[in-house]
Amino acid sequence: MSGGGNKKKPTKAQGWEEAGSEFYQESYPTDGEFDALQRDVNPKHLATLLPSKQTRAAATIRPRTNDNRTIRRQTSSRSRRDSTVHRRASTAADVQVSMLPDLSENLSNEQTTWEEIMQIKAMPVPMSQKKEMKAKILNEPNLRLQGYEQLNWKRRKIWRHFASRLKEFNTKLELWKNSLKRIEGHFGTGVVAYFIFLKYLLFLNLFIFLIIFLFIILPTLLVNLNDDSEQNVTETDNVVLDLIQGTGFMERSILFYGFYSNQTFNYTINETVMYYNFPLAYVCIAVLYFGVSLMSIVKSAANGFKDRVIEGEGQFYQYCNLIFGGWDFCIHNERSAGIKHKAIFNEIRACLEIERLVEMKQNRTKNEKTRLIIIRIIVNIIVLGTLAGCGCAIYYALMFSKEKQKTALENNEADFLLFIYGFIPSITIVCSNVLVPFLLKYLVTFEKYNPTFVIRITLMRTVLLRLASIFTLYASLVEITEDDNITCWETFVGQQIYKLVLTDFATHILLTFFINFPRALVARHVKNSFVRMVGEQSFDLPKHVLDVVYLQTLCWLGCFYAPLLSVMSFVIFFLLFYIKKFACLVNSQPSSTIYRASRSNSMFMIVLLISFVAAVIPMAYSFSEVRPSPSCGPFRHLHSVWYEVESTFYSTPNWVQDIISFLTTAGFAVPVFLILFLLLYYFKAVNSANRQMVIVLKNQLVLEGHDKQFLLERLSKFMKQQQEHQKRLRQIDVLQDGDTNISSN
Amino acid sequence: MGQGKSQFSEEELQDYQDLTYFTKKEVLYAHQKFKFLAPEKVGHNKNAKLPMSKMLNYPELNVNPFGDRICKVFSSSRDGDCTFEDFLDMMSVFSENSPKSVKAEHAFRIFDFDGDDMLGMSDLKQVIERLIGKDNHLSEQEMEHLIENVLEEADLDDDRALSFAEFEHIINRSSDFMNAFRMRL
Repeated sequence: MSGGGNKKKPTKAQGWEEAGSEFYQESYPTDGEFDALQRDVNPKHLATLLPSKQTRAAATIRPRTNDNRTIRRQTSSRSRRDSTVHRRASTAADVQVSMLPDLSENLSNEQTTWEEIMQIKAMPVPMSQKKEMKAKILNEPNLRLQGYEQLNWKRRKIWRHFASRLKEFNTKLELWKNSLKRIEGHFGTGVVAYFIFLKYLLFLNLFIFLIIFLFIILPTLLVNLNDDSEQNVTETDNVVLDLIQGTGFMERSILFYGFYSNQTFNYTINETVMYYNFPLAYVCIAVLYFGVSLMSIVKSAANGFKDRVIEGEGQFYQYCNLIFGGWDFCIHNERSAGIKHKAIFNEIRACLEIERLVEMKQNRTKNEKTRLIIIRIIVNIIVLGTLAGCGCAIYYALMFSKEKQKTALENNEADFLLFIYGFIPSITIVCSNVLVPFLLKYLVTFEKYNPTFVIRITLMRTVLLRLASIFTLYASLVEITEDDNITCWETFVGQQIYKLVLTDFATHILLTFFINFPRALVARHVKNSFVRMVGEQSFDLPKHVLDVVYLQTLCWLGCFYAPLLSVMSFVIFFLLFYIKKFACLVNSQPSSTIYRASRSNSMFMIVLLISFVAAVIPMAYSFSEVRPSPSCGPFRHLHSVWYEVESTFYSTPNWVQDIISFLTTAGFAVPVFLILFLLLYYFKAVNSANRQMVIVLKNQLVLEGHDKQFLLERLSKFMKQQQEHQKRLRQIDVLQDGDTNISSN
Repeated sequence: MGQGKSQFSEEELQDYQDLTYFTKKEVLYAHQKFKFLAPEKVGHNKNAKLPMSKMLNYPELNVNPFGDRICKVFSSSRDGDCTFEDFLDMMSVFSENSPKSVKAEHAFRIFDFDGDDMLGMSDLKQVIERLIGKDNHLSEQEMEHLIENVLEEADLDDDRALSFAEFEHIINRSSDFMNAFRMRL
């Protein structure tokens, strides 16, 4: 071991010599091995004697005796392999070195001992041997740390202990752990990633709710407790209808925007007066929760993106991934295992198929090409037309319901009719969301894209559909509020979104328990193949992702107009987990398409990001451009919501104003942009250089491999010759012996 | 849990905690699971050796196409029979906390059917056959094509087999592997 040689250093030459001899001993076959080898000389067998192979063989094949030599062998092998793979921390090698008994000057102290013990667990040896190693390390004389180091070490030890306790505690508390395990056992990691995503959204909403509660609802409640003057608006209408529609007493509750005041609160605590600028807080909280959501999305998306980049540029390793990472070792259910086999089989065939398709694509005739392009254009037009149609339908539904409600109010019709009219827009939206995807799915089959792209493009189209429906709703709401004399349009918008969320949730329940569940039952108990085909359903991941992302978008949009929507969405997400779990475990069969955890994760985040942007744009527009209604809410006398922030800005000290206005000038922005561009360019250049380097190194590796094979072959040939030569010599010897015998006789 | 606790001394538990990726509680939990496979045997001797057929009753191993290979790789007697310590080693490697390098090492051994320390054509073929299951068949040509593709992606030195370094290289680039090569206790 060269490392050992360096460390001793009595004289340099001696050290090297020793190292050399050790190296020789280790890396080259001993005589016995050589003899064994000579019996069948074959480059393949020779190859197993190469140092790189030897090192692994030491850990795997050799019978393990417990003398120092094997341990040394293993350890040396480890450190050498590390250097080739560049993976493990360099400490690993050091630790291994210090395990050599002859390095007595490198006496370990408590800390290194502990680190050594921690290294053992990574070794591929059975437990009994690990125990021996541990005992050995513990028996070695070690130095007690002194003074500050001792203190430091103790602190770290306590901290580590505490951390492990905390982890234990945490795993116990972890939400839905058993459910996740069950789902994983049945459906594999891709589907579990979806449920983890759901959990992530749940916590995001919890956070949004908490900040809204702390900074908006709590202050309002406190003030209202102090002067409870205005609580005399209890109309004894139909309470249930009010509750569902968000009208009546709900309209003037803390649920909606209109309730909140535009005052600067002052609290008197111990005779000091505290001010709380409520409108400012209201804006800031909205900005805050959008900001936090964006950050957390970008952070997770970036993680996924990093994985994708590491995974190799694009599809380079798809086959290896499929074969070495294809089986989910956590599957423990026979039926799912069968389906997993089938899924992997399909995926393999699909991959091979794609390859053939690519070849075919190159061989397509011009005629076919033009036909396909025309088909695709037509399909896209139809899709756009459908989207526009949905938009129109939503717009007219809204107008219709508005008209009807007005006439119904004038004619004093029944509450129930009013209720129905009120829900027409929400029902239209939900219907289009449920029905149109089927059409899209059908249309995409004509376009002859490859399977992965089909999933992506249907998903994107469905996202577009949902966002478009939200957009139209929002736009038509704003339009209605402009020409109508609604007293508080923000509350009206809040009500609409509130209704939409409720309808959406109701649809989930309806679809899962009253349509899909009977279908699943039928499929399970009826033998008729047609009925089965109707009943059987697979867990269609993109659709379910859309469901939750859609709800989240509504929550983002609605939280400003109806602050309590955050707690509602928190509860809904919580229930949705169980609904989706039911849909997944009871209603569906494992899908025959493979959803990869890594890939689906980044897909979730991208979809979420798109809908986030779609939620922010209208909000930003209404913040800065739309005039708040004059008679309600925190911003009742202002030109725009953002005006509140501006006026606060103008009341800050001059130097703050100066700095901020400098930051917004071109003199500051242009250089910053330039620098950013330069940085971007620099990294791009580094990136392409690295890529080039990878290719060069890969080629070099291939060349080295060829060289190695060539040399091995030559060596084996040479050895064969040698053997034959020796045989001949021996024969000659024998003959000569015979001759001498004869002659002596 | 109380009964499980009595079977181990505090010292043993400390050893197990230090030498695996588990906490003491998890070790005890693992032992419960192990015991569940053969209550009468393990009840007498906590570290009893269970034959491979018993080990394969563990649900994850039962349906795993590489179940027998896993048992063999982790068995200290190399014949697939596992003691509790072997089982603990196995679960430790498959646990969430074990690093990629450890998982890669064991995955490589599991896939290396003939034990020549290389994943050759025959190893790959067996891996694929087990992956797609008994009921599905690839034609000879497809199989060849597939192996060809795998080698093309991963075989850097062009010797028609994957060495450990090459295998680890792929694993490092595969984000699915860490998720897939895992069993929850």
